[in-house]
Amino acid sequence: MLVLLVALAACAKPQEPAPPWRVIDASTLRAMMASDKELPVFNTMSELECRDHRIPGTRCLACEDVENNPSILPPDKGRDIVFYCESAGCYRSCRAAGAAVKAGYRQVYVLQGGMPAWKQSGYTMETIERIPRGSIQSIRAAALKQMLAERKDLLLVDVRSEYLYKEEHIEGAVNIPMHRFSSSYAEIPLDRTLVLIDDRGFRTFLAGSYLEMKGYRVMRLFGGMEAWQEMQEKKQ
Amino acid sequence: MEGLKGMNIATGRHWSHLFSRALVLLAAFAVICLPVPAPAAQDCRFCHDEPLYRVDFNKSIHAGNGCTSCHVGITDIEKHRDGKEKPAPVDCGSCHQEIAKEYRNNFHYIQEDFRCSDCHRNIHAIRQDKDRNVKLAIIEKCTECHGNADYTTSGHGEAVLKGNQDAATCSDCHGLHNTRVFHTSLERYPAEAREFYTQKCKRCHADSAMMKRNNLSDKMVAYYESTYHGKVQELGYPAPVAGCGDCHTKHNILPKEDPRSSIYPDNLEANCGRCHAGFHSRFLSYQAHPDYTDRAKYPALYVTFLFMGALLIGTLAFFWVHTILWWRKVYWEHDRMEREGIVPPSVLATGEGLQQVERFSVKYRIMHVLLVLSFFTLVLTGFPLKYAGTEWAATLTRLWGGAHMAGLFHRGAAFLLIVGMTYVTFESLQFLFPRGEGKKGWLGRLLGPDSLFPNLKDLQDFKSMIRWFFNKGEPPKFDRWTYWEKFDFLAVFWGMFAIGGSGILLWKPEWSSYLVPGWVMNIAALVHSEEALLAALFIFTIHFFNTHFIPNKFPMDRLIFTGTYRLEELKEQRPLEYERLIAEGRLESMKREHPSIPLKLISATFGLGSLLLGLFLTVTIMWSILFG
Repeated sequence: MLVLLVALAACAKPQEPAPPWRVIDASTLRAMMASDKELPVFNTMSELECRDHRIPGTRCLACEDVENNPSILPPDKGRDIVFYCESAGCYRSCRAAGAAVKAGYRQVYVLQGGMPAWKQSGYTMETIERIPRGSIQSIRAAALKQMLAERKDLLLVDVRSEYLYKEEHIEGAVNIPMHRFSSSYAEIPLDRTLVLIDDRGFRTFLAGSYLEMKGYRVMRLFGGMEAWQEMQEKKQ
Repeated sequence: MEGLKGMNIATGRHWSHLFSRALVLLAAFAVICLPVPAPAAQDCRFCHDEPLYRVDFNKSIHAGNGCTSCHVGITDIEKHRDGKEKPAPVDCGSCHQEIAKEYRNNFHYIQEDFRCSDCHRNIHAIRQDKDRNVKLAIIEKCTECHGNADYTTSGHGEAVLKGNQDAATCSDCHGLHNTRVFHTSLERYPAEAREFYTQKCKRCHADSAMMKRNNLSDKMVAYYESTYHGKVQELGYPAPVAGCGDCHTKHNILPKEDPRSSIYPDNLEANCGRCHAGFHSRFLSYQAHPDYTDRAKYPALYVTFLFMGALLIGTLAFFWVHTILWWRKVYWEHDRMEREGIVPPSVLATGEGLQQVERFSVKYRIMHVLLVLSFFTLVLTGFPLKYAGTEWAATLTRLWGGAHMAGLFHRGAAFLLIVGMTYVTFESLQFLFPRGEGKKGWLGRLLGPDSLFPNLKDLQDFKSMIRWFFNKGEPPKFDRWTYWEKFDFLAVFWGMFAIGGSGILLWKPEWSSYLVPGWVMNIAALVHSEEALLAALFIFTIHFFNTHFIPNKFPMDRLIFTGTYRLEELKEQRPLEYERLIAEGRLESMKREHPSIPLKLISATFGLGSLLLGLFLTVTIMWSILFG
């Protein structure tokens, strides 16, 4: 028995430290918003994404902007403040939430599961300015590698945050982060075929649709940098 | 009159005043309470006069609906015209409720916020077309973004493009309005994805009518489910084993004769190598869909299948008949003695007859307890895999902490058993070749009364037993070991050769491929599984009966746990041994104290617990064989 218990104890996962913010589910957020009409709830995706679809009654405030300048948050640091983002992993809100905690906010909440959890609960969304969905072809990492060798008209556009781009990017890629996309896209030349690259392949579809609407020829990397890195590791 | 006239005039004014007030009130009521008629389609088309709305919409499937059936929220057409009133977003779910419910979990909605019209772009002109090739239309739609060349040139895609309505289109595997996506970032990959897609493959490939139509075997799913991959997957732990897509790939699914196929012989090394590492190339002859009954294709498997089946049925049938005859004889004998008031001498023992003598030393008792523990652990961790499709198997595996943990316990128990058997082999050799004597007299010892090796007397004893079963003679006089005890002992040796050998090969099949080719793993899996069934049923029915459930020992014989029994029992059960002990003057040294109460209690609890667990497992196994 003792051996068994020791074996089981050895198999138990070490507990991760609790984050400095509180996690709430979709129904709790809805109830909080119903009881406090002025509750500051922030969508931490880029403005372009946030205006396309967001939880009704919430505000757009890109994660990077909160990180760079937490003073844009409401001044009352004792007030409840909620962050949410697009992915189930939701690390963007968490990074914004972390910045808020660091800046002295005491009642910081993060929506668990982000917008997917909200949608799956059957709650509606709000659209300010919808981007028409385009037909954006996705290409696999291996195919992109081959295309890069064969075609010269490709322009890789890395839409991740500046610091992720600096950490690692595909050779030749230019960086136009999502949070600066609507103001900076015009820097991209119109005569190139673009390949958009993000973290995991979730954000480039909307960015691609936006660019297609603006007259660009766009493709996107399936699985984002994660897929590219995985391919590179396998080759090694 | 004046007054009257005046009054009349006054009254007339009053009524007219009241009437006009009522009219105002009525108008107000109408404005506030009565619904404003929705703008008619012709009102909308006054401005929205494109042919799409004037012509195509009238021919579309939605033609019966007015514009405001979908575009709700316009109360004043003039305000709308002036841009002051916009319609609410279209809610297709108000009519298509079931689809809307499914769509709530659709990946395209959850992650990219796709709305109906993002795929159904021509919603105003959409028509019902019974002759339309829906499968093809789905491919066309999905490949607008998912330009998956692998799929469109694969077996399925190619077949759909050629008009095959059975072949899988995108939505057959990924879902249509409930499209799911399993992504590494969701931390549920690959377990859920593997489970999900494998089930999708199975749904069609186990459909006999569909497979027959397409000249394919409908047995491939069953064959896969008979392998380790299939069983662990079926048990609900798909993460560590290959699902269909792992070997056949996700989209480039082609027959093995096609050089582009992942299962084309030249591609197998890379294919298997994605999960297995460090194997010899002969590993690749492993059959992922083996058919034990196909003599022409898999002769070695077929022969093994027949041999193991015959061994299983033969051994069990022989001993079950032996057991039934034995039980009949003993029960009838008991009845006779009961009627005649005869009590066995061992029960009435007094004085010297009550003296406890040792049969099993502490070492062998501990070894037996370890054997029991390892055996049960092996059965409780191995059989859920054998009967992976049953509820009890899934429950039991959950109790172990999952298939991986069950596998670890299985290997741990196997290791204990192997160590035990190695020690017994060492002791057996020591018995045969004792220190100082060498080979001298080894044959005598091998066939002697203290040996567990069968000899001629066992054959005579067996014949006597059969005669006794049929009331044609006295029961044989046994020495230290009966023939069935010797069989129990040697069966474990054979079992260890069969189960242990195959188990070691299967433990690390990649390493085993340096010794034997991959198809031997198929044989090893079959032998391991069938021999385990034989061992479990033999122990739980035959050994349990011979040793514990026989009427004069029921419900259990604690001898193997306490180690001693009465001298009178020794005389009754093993008279030749008793005589030998007397003749050799060894009886005195065999005498022991009566076992203590704690030892008896522990023995009874452990023994009865084991017996009950064994019986429960027998019922469960038999149930799974017959109805599983």
